[in-house]
Amino acid sequence: MATHAPQPPAGLPEPPEVPLVYQRRIRDLLIQALYVAVTALVIAYVVLQLGGREYGFGFLNQPASFDVGNQWLTNIDGTTNSRFTMYLVGVWSTIRVVVLAIALSTVFGILIGVARLSSNWLVSRLAMLFVETFRNAPLFVQIVLWYAVVLFGLPTIQNVINVGDFLFLSNRGIAIPWTVPDGGFWGGPDWMVGVWVAALFAAGGLAFWVRRRRQTAERETGKVQYPNRWALGLFAALALASFILLGMPVAIDRPIVEGTTYAEGMAIYPEFAALLLGLVVYTSAFVAEIVRGSIQALPRGQTEAASAIGLTAYQRLTTVILPQALRQIIPSVTNQYLNVSKNSSLASGVSYFDLFFVANIIQNKIGHAVEVFLLITVTYMLMSLVISLIMNYINRRVTLHSV
Amino acid sequence: MKRLALLGLVAAVFALAACGGDDGDGDGAAGGDVRGDTVALIEERGALKCGVTDTLPGFGFREPDGSFSGFDIEFCKAIAAAVLGDDAEVEFVAASSSARFELLSAGEVDLLSRVTTITAERDASRAVDFAQTTFYDGQGFVVHADSDIYDAADMGGATICVAAGTTTEQNLDDFFNEQGLSYTPLSGEGSEPQDQFVARRCDVFTSDKSGLAARIASLPNSDDYRFLPLTISKEPLAPGVRDYDSDWKDVVSWVVWGLINAEELGVTSANVDAWAADPPNTAVARLLGVPFEGGETADLGFAVDPQFIQRALRAVGNYGEIYARTVEPLGITRAGTLNALYTEGGILYAPPYR
Repeated sequence: MATHAPQPPAGLPEPPEVPLVYQRRIRDLLIQALYVAVTALVIAYVVLQLGGREYGFGFLNQPASFDVGNQWLTNIDGTTNSRFTMYLVGVWSTIRVVVLAIALSTVFGILIGVARLSSNWLVSRLAMLFVETFRNAPLFVQIVLWYAVVLFGLPTIQNVINVGDFLFLSNRGIAIPWTVPDGGFWGGPDWMVGVWVAALFAAGGLAFWVRRRRQTAERETGKVQYPNRWALGLFAALALASFILLGMPVAIDRPIVEGTTYAEGMAIYPEFAALLLGLVVYTSAFVAEIVRGSIQALPRGQTEAASAIGLTAYQRLTTVILPQALRQIIPSVTNQYLNVSKNSSLASGVSYFDLFFVANIIQNKIGHAVEVFLLITVTYMLMSLVISLIMNYINRRVTLHSV
Repeated sequence: MKRLALLGLVAAVFALAACGGDDGDGDGAAGGDVRGDTVALIEERGALKCGVTDTLPGFGFREPDGSFSGFDIEFCKAIAAAVLGDDAEVEFVAASSSARFELLSAGEVDLLSRVTTITAERDASRAVDFAQTTFYDGQGFVVHADSDIYDAADMGGATICVAAGTTTEQNLDDFFNEQGLSYTPLSGEGSEPQDQFVARRCDVFTSDKSGLAARIASLPNSDDYRFLPLTISKEPLAPGVRDYDSDWKDVVSWVVWGLINAEELGVTSANVDAWAADPPNTAVARLLGVPFEGGETADLGFAVDPQFIQRALRAVGNYGEIYARTVEPLGITRAGTLNALYTEGGILYAPPYR
């Protein structure tokens, strides 16, 4: 983003001295000093107002004595575990929903954004309807509405919808088959797991190498080489081969209904589903607009030139339009990703135990509002920082790539 | 921009260090964001701000016309009448179970009258003091009538709906741990647990027994639900006031005890006028703050004038009348329960008013 300051041509008189306050460096310093001073004053004021309280984070180490639902891969109870551990369980729940929501809203956002530019009248109007509906209603309302739809729209578990003993649908959630370690090398030496992971990494590396080679060949010869299809196909074949060679160490576990709960398989709880659905639908409406705007910002000549050399509509989009549009898309879409992480705190509206909900339970029990909210703030800041770092990395790559 | 963010972070870390420095014993008892004289504050404002629940029929409920009704609401009115002389001067503030103590300590309400259990932790670590208990309750369970759950042992693996930030939430952890059973909690605010239970999102709905009975009674098909014969906790529900204001706490406690004493002495909203004019004995005269047979009026030194209990009685009647008007219609009879007078087998035992 660096702008090159125009150099004054030689021989011209020096520009007049700029007053100190208007000099960029001095001004920046002043603004920063002011910012720090105001922040410090506000914090000092709050602390003074709450005077007489005792501060400290020791309360986080005491037993939680409440339980947290909606756990996945963990089963941590609050009897022996500390409040901080329960908070981390909440953080893990937040991370799950944020990562999935970002991934899904990217996919749907791009699809809908491209659909808005479709020459098919129906497709583009439907995409517009989607965007205008979901970006103009408050997110909290949408999440609560989705929850009501899931809770009251789906049958009870007594009347569960059974799709071929393979998928179950009720207002206790959606149960899908899931993988479990089974047979193969399990029970044998532990390092076999390492062997498998190493084999998968090697397959991935090989696939990358093939992709790079085919991309180069494509660029040099102009012949279509399908680098992505080759790479994916190769990786799938190698992964399957390693899976069979190692004696099929992973089995697919089909869900079953036991009494009023799902057993085995994986259950996606309605609270999680409602929150995810709300976040994805809302965010993809914004992402779609960013994608559309970024594509439209490209000169029309790009599309026309791509058509002129005989690329199909799909090739046009994936090799000419999107790679260039990405430079516009990524910085704007980063903001949306940051919003997803913050908006996930609406989880408590649908009984999903995210970090904000768990922190609220702790705060309600023992007080220490200042410390608890500091903890929440720092956690969200860290999450935003990680997202920013990742997106900045991607941004740098895209910028370099297309120079 | 990046440098700005960094500076902000540094400032936050400094603040953190400043807060964390004084580690103390983690008691945090002081609180008291709004200290001082709540009685004077109410008199100056001309209204009592009462934090209530608005979704629990029989205890604290917002009627379709916007008015409030219930057992806890009656105590708000009684205390407003005692302090201000007018039971209409109450500003009801809906206080959620997870925000109630903040509302109190921030001065948004003067009084919490919303099915709040006294616990040692709340008393010690929150900026709340509990006045005299108004209702003795215990935690119970309700299931769907066609459910296979009949006893504690059947609840293993069940999903349980519970209000967030309540003692019931914590009792669950204790109880299931003791029983060696697992369960999945589903916590919500307000009437959310009830809605989730009705939609069969969970197998069991747990709360204070009176609250459960009230909620189930308000449902269209209350026969579809069944109570388990289990009480797993003590839940003394009491009004909450801010720490460090014993004058105010005295007024609140003695309105409650006054209304219990009135029932013992036979003073009702019907005879309070006649008895105030001509008290039958000295105990009634003292309670109503009137002279007995030409003597002096006893002033016991409360922050309000001696007739405050008389005004409360005139507004809402004695404890028995409040109970009969609000809790009885839910089908929770009083005789033989903890909430009967001690003379009738209960544990309502008010100290003498003298």
